[in-house]
Amino acid sequence: MLTMPVIECQQLSKRFRVGVKEPGFLKTVRHFFHRRYRNVDAVKDVCFAIDEGEFVGFLGPNGAGKTTTLKMLTGLIHPTAGSVRVVDHTPYQRRHEFLRQITLVMGQKQQLIWDLPAMDSLRINAAVYRVPDDQFKQRVDELSDMLNLEHLLHQPVRKLSLGERMKMELMAALLHQPRVLFLDEPTLGLDINAQAAVRAFLRQYNQRYNATVLMTSHYMADITALCKRVIVIHEGTLIHDGGLDELLERMAPHREVTIEFEREVTAERLAAFAEVESVNAESATLLVRRDELTRTLDRLLDELPVVDLTVTDPPVEKIIGQLFAGGSVSSPQVTSDT
Amino acid sequence: MQRYLTVMRLFWSTSLAAEMEYRTNFALAAVVSLGNMVGSVFALYLLFSTGYLPGGWKFEQAMLVLGFFTLMNAFANAVLRVNLSRIVQHVQDGTLDFILLKPIDSQFWLSTRNFSAWGLPNVAYGLIVLMWAGRALDLNVSQYAMAILPLVLGLIVLYSAWFTLGATSIWFVEVHNVTHVLHALLEAGRYPLTAYPVIYQFFFTFVVPVAFMTTVPAWVMMGEHAVTWVAGGAAFAFGAFVFSRIFWRFALRYYTSASS
Amino acid sequence: MTTLLPKLRAMITVHYAEGLQYRAELILWILSNLLPFILMGVWMQAGLSGRFGSMTAVDFARYFFAAFIVRNLTLVWVVWDFEQDVVTGTLSHQLLHPIDPGWRYLARHLAERLTRLPFLAIFIVAFFLIYPTAIWTLSISQVLIAAAAIGMTFTMRYIVQYAFAMLAFWTERAHAIEQLWFLPYMFLSGMVAPLELYPQALRDVLPYTPFPYLIWFPVRVLLGDEVNLPLGFAVMTFWTIVAWTIYRLLWRAGLKRYSAMGA
Repeated sequence: MLTMPVIECQQLSKRFRVGVKEPGFLKTVRHFFHRRYRNVDAVKDVCFAIDEGEFVGFLGPNGAGKTTTLKMLTGLIHPTAGSVRVVDHTPYQRRHEFLRQITLVMGQKQQLIWDLPAMDSLRINAAVYRVPDDQFKQRVDELSDMLNLEHLLHQPVRKLSLGERMKMELMAALLHQPRVLFLDEPTLGLDINAQAAVRAFLRQYNQRYNATVLMTSHYMADITALCKRVIVIHEGTLIHDGGLDELLERMAPHREVTIEFEREVTAERLAAFAEVESVNAESATLLVRRDELTRTLDRLLDELPVVDLTVTDPPVEKIIGQLFAGGSVSSPQVTSDT
Repeated sequence: MQRYLTVMRLFWSTSLAAEMEYRTNFALAAVVSLGNMVGSVFALYLLFSTGYLPGGWKFEQAMLVLGFFTLMNAFANAVLRVNLSRIVQHVQDGTLDFILLKPIDSQFWLSTRNFSAWGLPNVAYGLIVLMWAGRALDLNVSQYAMAILPLVLGLIVLYSAWFTLGATSIWFVEVHNVTHVLHALLEAGRYPLTAYPVIYQFFFTFVVPVAFMTTVPAWVMMGEHAVTWVAGGAAFAFGAFVFSRIFWRFALRYYTSASS
Repeated sequence: MTTLLPKLRAMITVHYAEGLQYRAELILWILSNLLPFILMGVWMQAGLSGRFGSMTAVDFARYFFAAFIVRNLTLVWVVWDFEQDVVTGTLSHQLLHPIDPGWRYLARHLAERLTRLPFLAIFIVAFFLIYPTAIWTLSISQVLIAAAAIGMTFTMRYIVQYAFAMLAFWTERAHAIEQLWFLPYMFLSGMVAPLELYPQALRDVLPYTPFPYLIWFPVRVLLGDEVNLPLGFAVMTFWTIVAWTIYRLLWRAGLKRYSAMGA
C-alpha cells in the first residue's frame, strides 16, 4: 500500500530580520534613535519526510533552527521558501481541521490554569476541540491511567510537582487524540524518575495509537530510549537524517571511560592509553575510540591499579558539540550579513 | 456558535473559580470600588457646589452619566483589562503559540479567556447610582430599557479599541501600555460630554469615543438626541469591531512571518 | 556614606540606560497620567461661568497643568517591585549584596525620572505653545522652594509606599493596601479639584493629613502661590518620619520571618 508521509518538507527555509544592539551607553542612545538590522538564515533548504507512526528525534545545538523548524511544521510561522505539508495540510493556513490533528508540547511552558484542578483545563480543551462528553470521559480515564494521574486530576495545578505537571500538560495536549505530536524538550528540568515516566508514556502512546512523533531533547536518554531515527540540523542546515546508531558511530567515535584508581595516576601516564579528558587525583575520564575499546580496557586493567571502571556514551550535547567543534562535517555556511 | 458559548461559559466559570482561591481579593475589590464611588460622587458634587450647571446638566442628570461610567469601568475591569493586557504576556512568554494552535478563533480566545470578579462590585454600584438618579428624575422602566442598546454599542466600541491597541504588542512589546493611556482617557466619561470645551467634545466623540459609552446612554434615557446618537453609535461600533478583526488578522500575519 | 554615593550613581546610570530601551513606553507612561488634562477641560469650562470665586479658566488650566507635572515627578511603584522580588525570591540574592536593597529601588525610580525629564520638557513647551496665556514665571527662590516641595512629596510618597511594601513579607498581595491608599490620593489630595473648593470642614482637617501634600501643596508652590510653607514642610516631615519608623520595624520583623522560612 502506498502511503503519503505524515510530515513532509522540501527546501524549507526561513530568514529573519533581527535588530542589532551593541553594549555601551552611547551605543544604547544611538540604538534608541536608529535601529540597525541584519538577516539571519535560521533554516536553510531542509528536506525530510516522516511516515505515520514514526518516532523521530530532532537534534541540534541551541540556535540551530530546531524551534524555527517546529514552528513552521505546526504553522506558527510562514516559511520564507520551500514547501511543507503536515497531515495533508499546509500548516500556516492553520485550518481548524488541521489543528485538531496535531499538538505541540513545549517543556516548561504551560497552558494549564495554575490555581485550578487540571480537570477544569481539560474540560475547556474538550469544548475547544469538540470532544463529546462520553469520549472525553473515556479519554481522560485512558490517559490518566497511562500517566498514573487519576488521583491528581482534582488537585490545583500549583500543588503538583514539576513532573506531575508535565504529565498533566501532556494529557491536556493529547486529549483530542492528535495524529501528530510535536514535542519540544518535553522532559526539560524534570528529575530522573519523572523523565523516565514521561519517556515510558511517550513510547506506550506512540505504539498504542500509532501516533507520529517529532521530538527535540537535550537528554541523550530520551533519544536513545525512544527514537530509532534522528534528524540533526546545525546552523539551519540538515546534516544527518537516519538511524541513531549511524549518527553515534559517525559523530562519537569515542566512548567515555571513567576510572577510579587505588592511588594517584598522572595524566602523562594515562595519555599513553587514550585521549585524556580529565584527571582528578584518583579518578580520570578517558576518551577511547570505539574500535579500540576492548583492547584499551584490557591494557588499562593490566597495567594500572584500577578500582572501578565505567564506560558511557558521552551526552548527546557533547557528541554534537564535539562534532561541530571538530568540523567533521563539511562546515555549513555561517549566517550572512547584509 | 453553540461551541463558542460553551467555551465562554467554561472560561468565565473557571476564572471566577480561580479567583475565589483568593477570596479576600473580592472583599477588597468591593471596598475599593465603594470608596471610588463615594469619591466620584464627591468630585462631581464639587463641580455643582456653587450652583454651576456644567453644559446645562443638572446634578441628577450628571449622576446618570456617572452611573454609566461606573458600568463601563466594571466592564473594563472584569473583561477587558484582564484579557487584553495579557496579550503582551502571551507574546513575551511564547504561550501565544498554544492559542494559535487551538481550533478556535484566537481573537475570541484572547478576549474572553479571563473574567475578573474585580468588576462585579462596580456593576452593583453603577446600578444603584442609576436607580437613584432615575428616581430623582422620574424615569420609567422603558426609559431604562432604551438605554441598554446605546450602552452595549458603547461597550463594543470600547472593546474594539482596546483589543486593537492590545494587538499592537505583536510588534512592540512596550506598546501595550497604550491601553493604560486609553484607560486614562476613559476617565473623561465621568462628566457629561457638554461639560467640556468644544475641542474636548470633538476629541471624546470622534477620537476616543467615550461619549458613546456614558453621555449618549444618559441622553437616550432622558429622551434627548436619541436617534442621531444611537445611529452614530451603531455605525461606530460596527466599524470599530470589523476593524479590530482585520487588524488582528494583519498582526498575526506579521507574527507568523517574523517571530523567532 | 563615601561608598554609597558612587554605588548609587552607578546604579542610576545602569537603570538610565535600561530605561532608554523603552522609548515608546516612556511616552506612554507620561500619557497615562492624562487625568489632570481631562479635569482641566471640565474646570476651565467651569471657570468661564465665573461662579468659582476668583478662580478663572486660566487659573484652573495652570493648576491642573502643574498637577500633571507634579504627578509625573512623584510617581512611585516600589511596592510592586518589592512584592515581585519577594514572591520570586529575587530578594534573597539582593540581601547578599553589600548594600541595602532599598537603594536599588530608589536608584531605579530616580533613573526613570531622568529618562522622563526630556519628554516632560517637550510636554511643557507644547502646552505653553498651544496656550501661551497660561505661562507663569517664578523667581529663583520660588523655583528652589518648588524643587524642595516636589522632592519632599516624592520622599514622603516613596517612604510611605516602601513601608506598605514591607507587608509583602506576610502576604502575596501587599499592593492591595496601595490600592486603598490610592483613594485619598485621588480624592483628598486636590487631584480632582483645587482644595480651595472643598467644603470648609474638610479644609480644616486635611492640612494635618499627608494627602494635600501629594498634589495640592507642591502644585501651589510650583505656581508661586501663597501657602503656609512652614506648616507644609513640617507636616510632610512628620508623616515621613512616621512612615520611616513603621518601615524600619516591619523590615526587621519581616527579614526575620523571611530568613526563618528559608526563602
